[in-house]
Formats: sequence, structure tokens, C-alpha cells
Amino acid sequence: MDEDVLTTLKILIIGESGVGKSSLLLRFTDDTFDPELAATIGVDFKVKTISVDGNKAKLAIWDTAGQERFRTLTPSYYRGAQGVILVYDVTRRDTFVKLDNWLNELETYCTRNDIVNMLVGNKIDKENREVDRNEGLKFARKHSMLFIEASAKTCDGVQCAFEELVEKIIQTPGLWESENQNKGVKLTHREEGQGGGACGGYCSVL
Amino acid sequence: MDTCILTFSLLNGSDLLFAFVCLFVCLFFRYGLREFVVIAPAANNDAVLSESKCNLLLSSVSIALGNTGCQVPLFVQIHHKWRRMYVGECQGPGVRTDFEMVHLRKVPNQYTHLSGLLDIFKSKIGCPLTPLPPVSIAIRFTYVLQDWQQYFWPQQPPDIDALVGGEVGGLEFGKLPFGACEDPISELHLATTWPHLTEGIIVDNDVYSDLDPLQAPHWSVRVRKADNPQCLLGDFVTEFFKICRRKESTDEILGRSTFEEEGREIADISHALSKLTEPAPVPIHKLSVSNMVHTAKKKIRKHRGVEESPLNNDVLNTILLFLFPDATSEKPLDGTSSTDNNNPSSESEEYNLYNQFKSAPSDSLTYKLALCLCMINFYHGGLKGVAHLWQEFVLEMRFRWENNFLIPGLASGPPDLRCCLLHQKLQMLNCCIERKKARDEGRKTSPSDNVTNTYSGDAGKAGDQLGPDNLKDMDKEKGEVGKSWDSWSDSEEEFFECLSDTEELKGNGQEGGKKGGPKEMASLKPEGRLYQHGKLRLLHNGEPLYIPVTQEPAPMTEDLLEEQSEVLAKLGTSAEGAHLRARMQSACLLSDMESFKAANPGCFLEDFVRWYSPRDYIEEEVIDEKGNMVLKGELSARMKIPSNMWVEAWETAKPIPARRQRRLFDDTREAEKVLHYLAVQKPADLARHLLPCVIHAAVLKVKEEESLENISSVKKIIKQIISHSSKVLHFSNPEDKKLEEIIHQITNVEAVIARAAH
Repeated sequence: MDEDVLTTLKILIIGESGVGKSSLLLRFTDDTFDPELAATIGVDFKVKTISVDGNKAKLAIWDTAGQERFRTLTPSYYRGAQGVILVYDVTRRDTFVKLDNWLNELETYCTRNDIVNMLVGNKIDKENREVDRNEGLKFARKHSMLFIEASAKTCDGVQCAFEELVEKIIQTPGLWESENQNKGVKLTHREEGQGGGACGGYCSVL
Repeated sequence: MDTCILTFSLLNGSDLLFAFVCLFVCLFFRYGLREFVVIAPAANNDAVLSESKCNLLLSSVSIALGNTGCQVPLFVQIHHKWRRMYVGECQGPGVRTDFEMVHLRKVPNQYTHLSGLLDIFKSKIGCPLTPLPPVSIAIRFTYVLQDWQQYFWPQQPPDIDALVGGEVGGLEFGKLPFGACEDPISELHLATTWPHLTEGIIVDNDVYSDLDPLQAPHWSVRVRKADNPQCLLGDFVTEFFKICRRKESTDEILGRSTFEEEGREIADISHALSKLTEPAPVPIHKLSVSNMVHTAKKKIRKHRGVEESPLNNDVLNTILLFLFPDATSEKPLDGTSSTDNNNPSSESEEYNLYNQFKSAPSDSLTYKLALCLCMINFYHGGLKGVAHLWQEFVLEMRFRWENNFLIPGLASGPPDLRCCLLHQKLQMLNCCIERKKARDEGRKTSPSDNVTNTYSGDAGKAGDQLGPDNLKDMDKEKGEVGKSWDSWSDSEEEFFECLSDTEELKGNGQEGGKKGGPKEMASLKPEGRLYQHGKLRLLHNGEPLYIPVTQEPAPMTEDLLEEQSEVLAKLGTSAEGAHLRARMQSACLLSDMESFKAANPGCFLEDFVRWYSPRDYIEEEVIDEKGNMVLKGELSARMKIPSNMWVEAWETAKPIPARRQRRLFDDTREAEKVLHYLAVQKPADLARHLLPCVIHAAVLKVKEEESLENISSVKKIIKQIISHSSKVLHFSNPEDKKLEEIIHQITNVEAVIARAAH
């Protein structure tokens, strides 16, 4: 791990299936867009180091599957997250309407209450928009979330979404500082630590 | 001027304050001064005792005052400290005042009253005026009450005999003690003052006195607080915290012999290890819980003689009954626990507190266990008692697992990740018991079942109770499924539900082995249907689409979860890593697909996707050749990617209902893992697990006591303690220093409340 990295942050991406969670992540980490990205199974994971206001932060980003059935499995990954990106598809109103369910889920499963949330309206490159920007903004304000509209395809707003989220996390005292002072709870230990061994029921290799 | 420094270096905060007040009182009332400088020895043994040293000091003072022109009187403390003797000097322009004090061991009779004192005053002052103008007088009587602690202090230590006698009941184990063990006030000073009197208006001589303290116009009381009074709650928590630093294991504490005996016993009851690999059906015991307690007691008695067990049997039984109240009722509590029904509302402070402290709900078994261990550590045998109770607790857990008795006092459902790990482990064990119970009960109702419902008293005979046919069926089932599932060829096969309906299985299993297409599958008998989907129909034949019975997801404790995410994260961020990661997690998807296929013979992936991931089935209105508007649907682009994992899994999936699939969650293995985990916890580990619960309880106790006194400053401090604790306790390994700080804060608040309650 780089010496100059200030902290490692756990970020979670959630939202209905097919809203472009994995595409947003791929755009952010690899700066590519793949129109034929397979539907995520369970959770996926990517790492990226970014620099915000001169502070380097390593992001461990967990991408989750949006299907209802997987939802019984993914909340366990909410644990210890410092930031959450909640995504909806601006061309599908139903994905926006379901946001309330996701917020409930967050409230139920997040282990800390000072977690930073960001709402992202994705696919703004498409023409058949169903959710107005103001609606998204209003929803985000109501639930004190950050808000941005983005397009993983055209790259619009993607970098900005992650940067703003990280900036807000770093500005929140106690959300990440104390992580560093306490040995054994650093996220880096989790990712790179030794051990592993047996894992839970879903981990059998096909 | 550097000599003019007041030095009290060896005194602590409150002492210093008190000394200051004493000094001020002393000099103000004796000399009428409001402003002065005092030079006093720092330590008792530095006292200025010899007269020559005293004179030397005074002449130095005189020179210092003269040189500096300081007009503030300067004092030196002489003789032993307790005598509070201060002599000094004040130099003004043209005036010099000497301040002297006389300290008499025994007051001469003529100086015990005002008239005598006035006489000596007048003779000393040598005033040339006649008649002498009236002297104005201020009088103060001071009464000091100290060292009264020995006499009476209402806080009684808990009556241990009453606890054991059962009169008070186990309830006491859920309560924390509170208050100071000794009087938190060490001295009481009462001053009765007549501030303005003139000579002649009152009479006070050796035979008569007008000075009745009850009639004094001014009373004042001063309290001296005991420094760090010993407080019960603080001591309780502190002592419990000390366990965290012990290194001994439970066996080392209880002695080797008990351990061996324990080991044998466990092997006898359970054949636990053989169960790990051989999921032999266990007979269903119709065991009443009173039976169970009986067995538990027998076990306990067998273990040790009365004299060698750290906890006496009465105490132990009282605690066990307190922790496991279901043992008193005849019927075991089925599937419900006390925390299920009266879930505290999510707004209540109490609810938030366990969330903030990462402890456990205050009505949970874990919380109660923490309080009991605390109590035992304090009153019943210290560390040994703690080790003993823990051993019994672990034994009880194993007993419940083996006999399908749910553990009371735990919310049902998957482990609550907001609680402490130990609580999660217990919840996990309960999940395992629940599934095992459901499986065993499912087996009981199956037609070919000939297992007797009576308690055999020995689980080791389980095999004997299965009919030979039954055993054969089991073997066949295993063999066949093993053959058809090439990829699942590991030896540890266990089935979600091992029903012995072999005929059905034979039919489906063989078909499955040939990997037939949907058309062939359509001839199969549907299985494992949960209910019919409201609208959807199968694409190729228009049959209603059925939602299948699926396997429940595996419950996870936070350490398992961490392990798993570590494994997943270790695969890295490459495409291969991502692929492998998806593969590792696709067991659930595959299982659901198999269930779906079994429930909907002849279905396509499109059917499955419409149920499972509706947004991946895209419907469009198109106009057909006859000019009619029809809905045409197809899989989304991402589902059509050749050999993507969904397609792959779909092709691999065979129509097998959930109950005959390999279990996604191996409750036997997970339960054994939990039981092993519990068994190897040292008392120190245990104390660390439960410390958040103890702190939680202590904070609640302090709050409760505060509400009786209603001290606003304390309310504020409690809030600070809560926010401080929630920060510290949220990490898996909080530093000892920080924990000590919290305990210290709680103790301080307790002392404040105890003083206020006085």
C-alpha cells in the first residue's frame, strides 16, 4: 500500500437492477464503457486511488447486484461503509420510485449513522428521460444526500460524483480519522490481511 | 518575590481547593484579612518546627517586604500542618503590623467566654482613652462533624444468602448495584455567626451565656466531599474490566481434571464430530424443558463435587434459570423468543443505545449473561466463578443445539450486525437450531418415517432408530445425486431437506443426468412450487409461472462476512478475478434456477429472468404480419452475451427442488463452528466481548439514578459519556486506556449522584 495514502474508504454502490451501477464503476475505475456488461452476481469489487484537495484516498468500491433476490445477501456488505452511491436510471421512473426502499434498507443495515450518501441519476445521455433533474434534486435534499446526474456512457459527472463523495467523507470528522488510529480495523487490513479460510454459504466455487 | 508562591504541590485537586478554603477561613476570620500571601511547606515533613528557623523565616519576610514595598501581608505557616499556625507581617507607609497566633493545647477557663476574651483584648491593646469606646465583635462558633462513616451508612451490601435462598429470585442478577459504599461526604462544618455585636449588649461569661447557637442570625454549612469514594457500580465495572487482562484459559482456571471430564462428557452426549461429516438423522425427542433442566443439573453435579466447584449449585441454578426462563415452563418455547414480540420502537433511546455501543438489546440473553458474569465476578468466586459459569453456558448451548431447543432471549432472524459478535454468534446458533429443527420435523412427517417420538435418552443410538429401509433410501439418494452433479463431487454432501421420496427423485435425477432440453423437461412432474405468479405465464406453452420454494440465504456473523469479503477482495480487480468472484457467489443463483426449473417444467431462461430480474426482459409493441399490435419480448442485451454467467448457470441447472438440493447453508457445520468458538473463549475474551453490554447497563443505571435526583450537570455528562462510548466501542479492538476512561467517567458520575442523593 502506498505510503502517502491518507486513508482507505469503503464505498458501496446500490440501486435497482439495470440502472448502470457497474457501468458507472467501470467508467470511474477504468474510464471505459461497455454496453454489454453482464449483470452482476452478488457483489463485485474494485479499487481506485483518487486525490481530493491534495489528500490521497484509496477507495475500495463494492458494486452490488440490484435484483430483489440478491438483496438478502448484499446488505451484509453495507457494514462499515463510509459512503454510499445510490443510483437510479433517469429514463425509468420505476427505478426512481424504488429509491425509498433502498433508503430503508440503508437505514436498517448500515452500522453507522454518519455515513455519506450520494444520489446519482444515471443515463442522462439517453433521450427518453422520465425523471426530471429537479425531482432528483428534491429527493436528495429531502434525505440530505449529495446529488449529481451522470452518464457512464459519455463520462458526464462520473468522476465528479466520486470526488464529491470522498471530499464529503473526508470533511466528516470521526467517519474516517479514527479508523486509522485503531489498529486492526483499517479497511486495508480487511482487504490485504492474511487468513481467509472457509467462507459462508455462498462462496462455493462452481 | 519568587518566595511568595503558594505551594501545595502534593495535594490533589479537591484537596487543594479545600485547603484554600480552610486557609482563607483561617486567616480571614482570625486576622480579618481578605488579601494575603502565604508561604507554606509543600510536604508535611518539611514543617517549620524550630523557633530559630521560624525567626529566620520571619526576618527574611521582613526584608523581602521592605525591599519590594509590597503592602500585602505575608504569612509563614509554622509548626505542624494540622495546627494551622500562620504568623506574618504587613508593612505599610509608616506602619508595621505583626500577626501572631497562639495555639493552646488546653484553653484556660477565663478564655472560654466572651467577657474573659474582652478583658485580655483590652489589656493587650493598652488604649489610653477613658472610658474605653465599646468594642465591636463578630462571633462564630464552628462545629465540625467528621469521621462519622463508621457509625452509620445506609447502603447495604446485597444479601447474598437471600439471593441464593431464592426469595429474591433470579431477578437480582439483572440489576446493577449503585451508590457509594462509604459515605461520600467526609466532613460537615456548621458555622453559627453573629456578625455585628457590640460589647455590652450580650452577656457571655463562665456562668451564663446569651450566645445560643440556635439563635445565631447567620448559619452556614460547609461539606467536605470524600475524595474518590468507593462506589459500587464503578467498582463492579472496573473489576469486570480487569478480567480483560487475564491470560488464563477457562481450563487453566478450572483445573485440568474438569476439562478432561468435560471433554468425555461432550463426546458421550453428542458424537459431535461424527455428525460433522455424517448427517445422520437425529430422532425427534419429545423432551419437555423441565426434563432438560433436570439433565443439565445432573450434568453439573456429575462434573464436580460441591467443594471443588467455584460456584455453588444454588447460585448456579438461580443464574441458569434467570438466563433460560423457558426451562421453568413445561413446554419449550416454539420458535418465539421474548425479544420477538416486544421489539422496542426504533425511536426509543434504549434501542439506539445498543446500536451505538454495539452491545445487545437490554432484554437479550447476551446482555443478561454479561450482568450475571459481572455479578459473579464481584460476589461469587471472581475469575473462577466466571470461568465456571461460562463453561456451563457453553454446555447449555450444545445441549440446546443437540436437542433442537431454541435459545431464548434472542431476536429471530439472521445475526444482527449492530450487536456485539458474541450476540451474533448466539443468534447464528439459533438459526442453525431452527433449520435443524425444521429439517427434523419435516422428516418426522414424511410418510416412510418410522422414527419413534419418545426420548431415548441417548442421542448416540440415533442410527438404531432408523428403519433399515430408511437407511437404504438415504444411501440411494446420495449415490444418485452424487452421480448427476459432477461439479459437486466433494464428500461433504448434505441436502437441504432429505425427504425419502425416492421414486420422484429417481425419475428426475435420471432425466437431469441427460441434460435434456426444455421440451423433454416439460414432461416432468412439477415440484417445489411456492405459489402461482399473478400474471406471468410460461412463454412456450402458456402454463402459469410458479414461484418456487427457494433456499433461504445463509445467515452471516460479522467475522464470517469479513472473511468472505476478504476472500472476494483478494481475487483482485482483474477480469478473471471478477469472473471468479461472480462464480463463487453464483451458488445461490444456480440453486434458485434449479428450484425454478423444478417448479416450472419446460421453462426457458426468459421465464426465469422475468421473475428474477424483470428489467432484463424487454418487451416491445410490434405490428405483426396481420397488422395487429403484439407484445414482443426478448432478453436484454447483457443477458444475451454469449456464455455470460447467467446463461452458463442456466445450462448447468437441473430441475431439482430446493429441498433436495445441496444445502447452501450447512447448519451442522456452522453450529459446530459456533460451539467451538464459544468453547475456546478465555474469560478475558469473554469480558472483552461483553464489556459493551456492561457499559451499556452501567450507563442505563446511571441514567435511572440520575432521573431520581434530576441534576442537570449530570445529564450533560451522561450525554458526553454516551457519545464518547459509542465512538470507542464501535471498533473491534478499543484501546484499554479509552475503555478505562469511560469507566472512570461513569464512576465519577456515580459519585456525584451519590453525593446528591445524600
